[in-house]
Amino acid sequence: MTIPASLEPDEKVERKTPHTPSVLEARNVYKVFVARGKARTALRNVDLTIHRGEFVCLVGPSGCGKSTVLNMFAGLVMPTDGTILHDGRVIAGVNTRVGYVTQDDNLLPWRTALANVELALECKGVGRAERRERAFDYLARVGLKGSAELYPHELSGGMRKRVSIVRTLVDDSVDVILMDEPFGPLDAQTRLVLQDELLRLWQGTGRTIVFVTHDIVEAITLSDRIATFTGVPGSIKQVRDVTLPRPRDVFHIHETPGFATIYDAIWNDLREELLNERGRDAGA
Amino acid sequence: MPAREQHPQAHEAWAHERSLLMEEEHRSADHRRSRALRVFALRIGVLAGFLVLWSAASGSLIDSLFVSDPISVARSFIQISLNGTLWWHLRLTLLEMTLGYILGVVIGVGLAIVISLIWRGEQIVRPLMLGVFAIPKVALAPLVIVWFGIYLLPKVILAASLVLFIVYFSTLAGFAAVNRDLVASVRVMGASRGALFLKLILPSAAPYIFSAMRITLPGALIGAIIGEFVSSNRGVGFLIAYASSRYDTAQVFAAILSLLIFSLILNAIVSRLEKYVARWRSEEPQWGPA
Repeated sequence: MTIPASLEPDEKVERKTPHTPSVLEARNVYKVFVARGKARTALRNVDLTIHRGEFVCLVGPSGCGKSTVLNMFAGLVMPTDGTILHDGRVIAGVNTRVGYVTQDDNLLPWRTALANVELALECKGVGRAERRERAFDYLARVGLKGSAELYPHELSGGMRKRVSIVRTLVDDSVDVILMDEPFGPLDAQTRLVLQDELLRLWQGTGRTIVFVTHDIVEAITLSDRIATFTGVPGSIKQVRDVTLPRPRDVFHIHETPGFATIYDAIWNDLREELLNERGRDAGA
Repeated sequence: MPAREQHPQAHEAWAHERSLLMEEEHRSADHRRSRALRVFALRIGVLAGFLVLWSAASGSLIDSLFVSDPISVARSFIQISLNGTLWWHLRLTLLEMTLGYILGVVIGVGLAIVISLIWRGEQIVRPLMLGVFAIPKVALAPLVIVWFGIYLLPKVILAASLVLFIVYFSTLAGFAAVNRDLVASVRVMGASRGALFLKLILPSAAPYIFSAMRITLPGALIGAIIGEFVSSNRGVGFLIAYASSRYDTAQVFAAILSLLIFSLILNAIVSRLEKYVARWRSEEPQWGPA
């Protein structure tokens, strides 16, 4: 049994960003799920603070509750105990001030790429002409100008993913984007290209991104900080800064000085958890 | 073009590939055309075979009084078409059926929507709805006539009753099949309840509603005809009952033929509508094995 990360003082992080206010906060969050009449702890005492404008990756063994944390930030799942805050206010219902990019692209199949991007603006009551212009502008930024009138089934996996990312970015009223393994189903090359595009879209916008992944290299490439989760029940084991300079070269991130150090540190945090998990499987 | 002169080989390769593409396009188009033609010919063949069998059996294997024969049916069909008898009866049946169908679809979808708004509504009324659905509506026909008179209304109600339940159950199945992740995504975007329903739930249930609409089309016709059987002095059901009471089998078949033609036309209309609404769906791939 490892000591929950929340018990260890995370001084380094506090020192690095003393002036940026927190946007999202999970305080002593527990989540218990009941399945077939049996209660199980999914999250144990999760403490996590996301600061304004930073890119944070959550990594951890599969099933450790990373996605549940995102669902809580989105207000789709309520904690069993503890508090979830957005700008200091408790999230009590669906949080419409975040954008959510899920693992499936979740586009409406009967809407064109353009109409899909317009959807969030439509829900927020933006006028037709304005939302069309903004949606088109964002599609053009990811090279989908010529595909605006195509339906999702006519787009490739990478294109659909671009649409689903742009669909959350186009909404100005959203200052936090939650991403749940968005590049998981893509092939390795497309994934790199999309990581590059995401960084370009994000840089300089001041928006906050919380990104769940199981890929350590992806986490290092993208983020300012990486929070590693323990295995089930999930809690935060370690939070580490990624100090590699920006803008980052996605395609040659391995060659960046300092990459190996952070990679080894994260891998060490994670390896223990993976071994624990394997031990549990063998024991069962 | 100077480029072409500079790279004659490249141009040759390009021309070669273009001719390959065009050849393949022609071949695929020819294939499709000949396949469609063959299917059509086979359909005609099956129909002709059936008619020949019918003619041969009539009068030899079976008494022609019971089954008539294709020629007499055709003659009778032409006769009642030309003298206006068929249209006079068909017109009323069409009216009953169409009103009943529209009523059934509207109430079926409407009821499903209302029930979905109520907490656990579907679960609460499920036994009741399944029970009523299981009653043979035909058995209620005499009672419906007693309640609603002998004119248009009882036939419309019978037609609607054969449409309503299937549309209701299918619509609910469509609502239940909505992708939960999509619902979550759209809610996080800030959609109101109404917007969620109109922009997500109803469109994703549309294929279910349309398939129910297609399945229940003959049901509406059955309802109208049954109503006419029980009590009427006009309509195709009346025409059939009257003709068979006089042992005019040819006219019975002629009346049935008119219903058959009409059903095919209606089916084509609904299919068109369905295709139009579902035009976003992927078409069959043009490549791969034929």
